[in-house]
Amino acid sequence: MLALQLLVNGIVTGSALGVVAVSFALIYATTRVFHVAHAGVYTLGGYLAWSLMRHGVPAIAALLVAMAGCVVLGSLIQILLYARLERRGAAQLVVLIASLGALAVIQNLIAAIYSPDILNFSAAWAGQVVALPGGLRLTGAQIATVVLDFAAFGATLVFAHRTLLGKRIRAVASNPFLAEITRLEPRRVHVYVMAIASALVCLPGVLGPLDYGLQPYGGVTPLLTATIAMIAGGIGSLAGAFGLAVAIVVLQNLALLVMPGEWSIGVTFAIFVVFMLFRPRGLFAGK
Amino acid sequence: MILELEGLAAGYGAKTVISDLSFAVAEGEILALLGHNGAGKTTTLKTAMGLIAPRAGLVRFAGVPLARVPVAERVARGLRLLPEGRGIFPDLTVAENIDVVAARLAAGGAMFTPEALYRLLPVLAERRTTRAGSMSGGQQQMLAFALAILGTPRCLLLDEPSIGLAPNLVERLFAQVRDVCRAHGVAVVLVEQNVAAALALADRVAIMNSGKLVFDGTPEAARASNLWEHF
Ligand SMILES: Nc1ncnc2c1ncn2[C@@H]1O[C@H](COP(=O)(O)OP(=O)(O)OP(=O)(O)O)[C@@H](O)[C@H]1O
Ligand SMILES: [Mg+2]
Repeated sequence: MLALQLLVNGIVTGSALGVVAVSFALIYATTRVFHVAHAGVYTLGGYLAWSLMRHGVPAIAALLVAMAGCVVLGSLIQILLYARLERRGAAQLVVLIASLGALAVIQNLIAAIYSPDILNFSAAWAGQVVALPGGLRLTGAQIATVVLDFAAFGATLVFAHRTLLGKRIRAVASNPFLAEITRLEPRRVHVYVMAIASALVCLPGVLGPLDYGLQPYGGVTPLLTATIAMIAGGIGSLAGAFGLAVAIVVLQNLALLVMPGEWSIGVTFAIFVVFMLFRPRGLFAGK
Repeated sequence: MILELEGLAAGYGAKTVISDLSFAVAEGEILALLGHNGAGKTTTLKTAMGLIAPRAGLVRFAGVPLARVPVAERVARGLRLLPEGRGIFPDLTVAENIDVVAARLAAGGAMFTPEALYRLLPVLAERRTTRAGSMSGGQQQMLAFALAILGTPRCLLLDEPSIGLAPNLVERLFAQVRDVCRAHGVAVVLVEQNVAAALALADRVAIMNSGKLVFDGTPEAARASNLWEHF
């Protein structure tokens, strides 16, 4: 059953991109920064985990350390770059260009330190194929991806709606001016959000490359899909961003039944254009 | 005097909007701050809050100059603003609105705890799980007022709290303002378009015209003077 296998592969990869989309959407909704350098944070996570696992660190420990590294990088970008620009009243476009600059620096540093070529993980369990009922075959990396990414999405929703910090973050996103005069300290919350979103994006940043290998510039395509999912899902809706990411990747995969793989980016953009024409505010737009 | 503005000047970019502005409010006093559209009332309140840096003059709160005190610290000391327009977090439920602010401003021994607010404004208790942005304008304004007094306010800056409210709701809201002020000694600076309602509530009236103070006196004196000349 090729179609079923493609559907399941789509859900697996889609859940990974869903977490990228949720983390990006969290940042955009709260800070209003179009944080392109998030692709660099995603990439760094994979390389950190690769280095550690190559030296025999167990996968879970490597993932956790990589997450810590991503948290540091994301928070520094917020504190040293975005917060300073905001204090100077920089326009959104200026901040976007600064973010693109940060992305280029991260990518080039990774290429210089590691290699511009594809690096592969050598974890045996990741490549091991598990046969499931219905003739489905999934690798260890795919199973870890779908389980952990869905868990991360669920945890993010619970965090946003059930914890005090989650509510405070949503409050800052909902009305930044009021947040300022009710002592929610929006600038501090922006740093928290960058830290949390950077930890989140590290998960797919490590799990994805377990399957496909690492590339210094490998974060850009996932981020593009995630951005489209966020806009199509309705800015501000985390569930919308995740759901649309899964849907887009499933469609990309099913499209393989009828057209060659190079067209999958085309499918993504086609979905984007359809949304912009018929549902420009997104599927789950709040206001 | 809990809040004193002395020779205050402020503006945006090259434009000076208020200049040489001085007035003060005492504990438990309601000051109506009136003036035509664009007179600079909102700018005055924002400057007092520290949201706009003054170009001259100073703001004193409980006798202490605030020049170097950041917004969050002014709020913590009890200087509170109900902003013009939406003073709520529309995407959160009513209870979430109150909880996030209470966690930052009403931790331990506050004048207005969430429970006290639900008792004071029962409509909010009924709407706890409603998304704040989907409530009626009047209910949203009640929530905005609740968020402004949550914790231990000492001086409330209310920027057109009655906007969009039906007359009976304005009466209810102003009765609450009066109670909060009288029972707890909270000072109020009330900016209003509804001049009649503001004069009925206020102890004292200040009138601004083009960024300057043109009248400061009792409501009776304001009514006796040619009030509308100032607008
Ligand atoms: N952010 C801003 N940037 C530039 N000019 C502004 C800004 N906000 C207000 N102004 C200008 O400053 C002047 C005073 O505005 P302000 O909002 O303080 O008046 P107001 O008395 O509150 O008026 P209203 O009754 O309409 O609320 C107006 O001329 C207005 O156009
Ligand atoms: Mg105003």
